[in-house]
Amino acid sequence: MKLKLFIFTVLISTSSFGADDLAKQVVQAVTDLMSPVNSYSVGTQTIRTSSGKIRTFEFEGWSANKGEKTLTRYTKPAAIRGQAFLMLNHADDIWTYFPRTKRVRKLASHAKKQKVQGSDFTYEDMGGGDAFLTEFDASYLGEHVVHDINCHQVLLMGIPAKDPPYPKMLLWARVSDMFPIQIDYYDENDFNNKTLVLNNIQIIEGVPTAMKMVMTDHKEHSSTIMETLEVTYKWDPPADFFSERTLKK
Amino acid sequence: MRRFAIFHLLPLLLAAQPDFFGYFETEGDAMQLNTETYAFGYNKLRLGMESRPNEHVLIGANINIQQYWGQTTWNLFDFIPGYSELDLQMPMNISDTLLLDNVYMTLHMPWADMTVGRQQISRGVGYAWNPTDIFNSKSLLDPSYEQTGVPGVRVDIPLMYNLSFSSFIQPEMDWDLSAKQIWFKSTLLGFDVELTAAQTQWPYWTALSTLPPVDKRLWGASAVGEIAGIGAWIESGRYTMDGLDTHGEFHHLWDEVVWGADYTFENSLYVLGEVLFNGLGEVNKRNVQLNNYFQSFEGITRSLMQNYVFVYASHPTLDYVTLSLLSISNLNDYSATVAPQVDWNIYENTTISLQSSFFFGDNDTEFGIQDWGLRLRVRSDF
Repeated sequence: MKLKLFIFTVLISTSSFGADDLAKQVVQAVTDLMSPVNSYSVGTQTIRTSSGKIRTFEFEGWSANKGEKTLTRYTKPAAIRGQAFLMLNHADDIWTYFPRTKRVRKLASHAKKQKVQGSDFTYEDMGGGDAFLTEFDASYLGEHVVHDINCHQVLLMGIPAKDPPYPKMLLWARVSDMFPIQIDYYDENDFNNKTLVLNNIQIIEGVPTAMKMVMTDHKEHSSTIMETLEVTYKWDPPADFFSERTLKK
Repeated sequence: MRRFAIFHLLPLLLAAQPDFFGYFETEGDAMQLNTETYAFGYNKLRLGMESRPNEHVLIGANINIQQYWGQTTWNLFDFIPGYSELDLQMPMNISDTLLLDNVYMTLHMPWADMTVGRQQISRGVGYAWNPTDIFNSKSLLDPSYEQTGVPGVRVDIPLMYNLSFSSFIQPEMDWDLSAKQIWFKSTLLGFDVELTAAQTQWPYWTALSTLPPVDKRLWGASAVGEIAGIGAWIESGRYTMDGLDTHGEFHHLWDEVVWGADYTFENSLYVLGEVLFNGLGEVNKRNVQLNNYFQSFEGITRSLMQNYVFVYASHPTLDYVTLSLLSISNLNDYSATVAPQVDWNIYENTTISLQSSFFFGDNDTEFGIQDWGLRLRVRSDF
């Protein structure tokens, strides 16, 4: 009986270790795939509000050091043309530039949870980085078919001491290449308040790239589509590119 | 300087097939002052141009065409407690304008950026007041409105990763008469920190007197960052002023300090608060003289009195509708104004704003002299 119990315990531990290991592998792969070393892109951001009104923004974006540094500048519509924000240290430090007054303003961390231009993405969502690895405990939930694709499903539980952006997330990544295709974000009441779906995945310069990302807010019944019109991963940032000087250019 | 800008930079800009942008803004206002109601407003076209002949050069300009309607001649004494009942006249006429607001060229060099021409200079980290800004004065009911251009030469030099040096000179006939400011900017313990020094000739006296401008110097500092997740900033200036008045030579020294904080709640409610201390302002309303009012109207002094509180709150309540509330309190004469506002982004690039303002305090106080105001503004960007 003691031997049986020992074997059972070992099996459970091994199985549990294997699942957690796989969860970590998936999260590591997702983090790597979503954070290319450097990039330059041109894209659109289309917001559909809860009342069905649609507004489209156009922007240029630069990213370096696996998303640790990003700079985004809006080119359309005219009302916010030239408005830009610089995020360093994975959006821990944010500066915005207002061309109308030629002012640069440092934002406090409370701004990270704010919607970017009224969209369903927060500054934190756009900050990239390794938050999935460092601020969450990952558990493997098995293989599931999502959007007709066989996926690994991983549960990410926020580590309170690390101040995670969300208390809980569910992640689906393709079994074939670990590319994420859906993330569900949960609030403190375990309500799935946002869902991000990544599609039209193309290989650009050897890097799998979601040319379209749709964030849906289930609480406010709004959605935001981010479409990539142009992207390159061969852009090398000049020295001191991610600075207030470039922000104002 | 202005001639240089008009004759050299503007033709260069137009020849470079620039991008055109800007906005049309129309505003209608009504207000009640001393039992009289006034209606006035303006139509304004701001045309911007920018061209980049190459990646190192930016040439830009902004032209304002502004046409006023309704009440365009004001008697300044109507705005001064104690004088509004007297039959005194100091008319101020607001006439239609065609203003070359900015015209400048920026050279982006590896070691520095240099901007030459009439340009917008926005100094300081404060929202409602900027004690380190010697070039502009803000409208407290609309602090984020664009500032009028200042002719001069600006140089920004990055010294190392997070340290930069900047200077701005507004040249006049000789060096002493030229306004100049330098500032160092760096990051310290997560705060953006700036040290600045400036010197200018200051028209401390107004149209009421004929004395020459006085020499004003500034030593200032600012820091902006966060404390316990709340945005926090401080901006302060120590000013000295040397000149001659009817009693002979004089020397004044005073401090101006702004403390501010802001926070955005989970429900998107944004709240900002600022406190101003202006050592040049009067503490007791009985000591406020006519000249103090004129200096305040003309933006020569930062404020009429010494202590103020500014509070601003906004919330994106409906799709493209933002409700906000702004309040300014004079802690010395116990008067205040409260201004609720609705901004409706009715179409892409078009916003309708309605602001009402209510004034509180005794009739002999800064804000109490006015009863109410109403402002409707429609702006469309292109």
